[in-house]
Amino acid sequence: METTTKPQPQTARNGSFLSVSGAHLISRNRGAGYARVTLAGITEAELAQPGQFLMIRRLGSAALPRAFSVLRAEDDRIELFIKLDGLLRELLGSVPYRTRFELRGPYGVPYEEQIDTDQRYILVGGGSGAAPLLFLRERRPDLVAETVLGFRHDGASGLFPALDFVVEARDRLQAHDRLAEVWRPGLGVIACGPEPMLRAIARQHDGVPHVYVSLEARLGCGIGSCLGCSIPTLTGTQRICRDGPLFASSELPWLR
Amino acid sequence: MAALSTRRFALDLATPIVLASGPAGFGFELDGSLVAAVGALTTKTVTPEPRAGNPQPRLVDCPSGLLNSIGLENPGFAAFVEEYLPRVLDLPTRRIISLAADRPDEIGRMVGLLEEISEIDGVELNLSCPNVDAVIIGTNPALVGEFVRQSRALTTHPMFVKLPGDSTTMIPAAAAALNAGADGLTLINSVSGLRIDHRIGLPMLHRTTGGLCGPAILPIALARVYEARRAFPDALIIGTGGVTDVEGAIEMLAAGADAVGIGYGVMADPSLPARLTAELETWLTEHRYASPADIIGAAHRGGFDVP
Repeated sequence: METTTKPQPQTARNGSFLSVSGAHLISRNRGAGYARVTLAGITEAELAQPGQFLMIRRLGSAALPRAFSVLRAEDDRIELFIKLDGLLRELLGSVPYRTRFELRGPYGVPYEEQIDTDQRYILVGGGSGAAPLLFLRERRPDLVAETVLGFRHDGASGLFPALDFVVEARDRLQAHDRLAEVWRPGLGVIACGPEPMLRAIARQHDGVPHVYVSLEARLGCGIGSCLGCSIPTLTGTQRICRDGPLFASSELPWLR
Repeated sequence: MAALSTRRFALDLATPIVLASGPAGFGFELDGSLVAAVGALTTKTVTPEPRAGNPQPRLVDCPSGLLNSIGLENPGFAAFVEEYLPRVLDLPTRRIISLAADRPDEIGRMVGLLEEISEIDGVELNLSCPNVDAVIIGTNPALVGEFVRQSRALTTHPMFVKLPGDSTTMIPAAAAALNAGADGLTLINSVSGLRIDHRIGLPMLHRTTGGLCGPAILPIALARVYEARRAFPDALIIGTGGVTDVEGAIEMLAAGADAVGIGYGVMADPSLPARLTAELETWLTEHRYASPADIIGAAHRGGFDVP
């Protein structure tokens, strides 16, 4: 356990990026299968924008860091909303407070730079894909017409008491089904979640303008050099980490 | 302080820590100060024609490493020379251009065209990519000899040959490369590996197998470097495979590498190579060594001078 009594964050600016070797966990709120986790000690944390992500690993580890989308960024703190299903994610969900992590970022193009900001959107999140959408809603409520958040089971509702979820096991409905009910012409869509959900939305809204999907892949470097996250688009190969993560659904014929 | 320059090396590197071909791309995404702190950058492999690379997923987690299946995604040689090379030449470090082709005349043509560019510091023939359909040339000594011969005739640049870490074919392939005129060996490429999705019983990668990199392959790379140094006392060797800390870099030098390539390590942490350079300098100073040359191959001659 790398719990130290006095975490001393070391921050270095590498180009336009922030790299912190002493971020420490200060709070955690666990639901069934999901958790909200806050890391503190991050200089200029507030620079992170909706849609951006951080590469995080345990301090001193040689493991490949994992990408986490930002749920909130304030002062020296970053809050994440994570599914507790991988090694690092389980770690974030269970280690003692003050445990230190190494993180770098924020990476990725902010959603606001990818979308038409004269447009209003329905945000559709699946599972932990809700994180960047809730961050966008907090920063730019003017862009949001509706928010639809879907979960397979009702494990995360306690983490967001003010929000209504579509729970598949209870409502016999998935997020994209609810989207079909509430969507009306003129509204755009920003979706983040598992690929089957993104596929369903891309098919449902084939030909509809302003439909954006936030893609996920196991990222390597996070900065666009290793090409581990390249995907084909109508305008050529693009990198999820550097050119995305948000893409116009019309650019991704393979998703439909 | 110890000086990190390794003059024994044909490239006259400022530090033996170099960026291996692949994860660092063409160096553009890395911060300039991080690039300046390494001895050289080896570019992503360039092929005669553009390659889109393999479909997702390209990266699969493994215990102590990563299975990768990038598939030599690159813009092709013409676009590389036109759009990428000028920026590569602006990088504040030495540059080694990595090349691959299916036929020896194709790789020779690229090597020949690069001959006019005096600012590049070397070429590396990647004869060992595990993630494309072509046969792995690097396990066949006769083919290795032919690829190197055709390229050697067309260039005066220092030439390295990147081989697979195959324990039975590596020494004959390395001998063929060196006999055909290669200046050095880059050992090793990632190691062919497989992961199966236990929920559905199918390979996780479209191409079934991928290249295992990361700490898991450090012992394999060390073994091949050690064997190559024993067999070829005068060859230049870039030891690459799973180094993620200064202790690993020191092991690689002691096994006989003239330089230490960092691949997975820079993917996990882009600032790692610069940190290794600094930590290696500190280690050498503390151990009263004047330069990395003093510890290269130490494992073959009684180890370090431990007081």
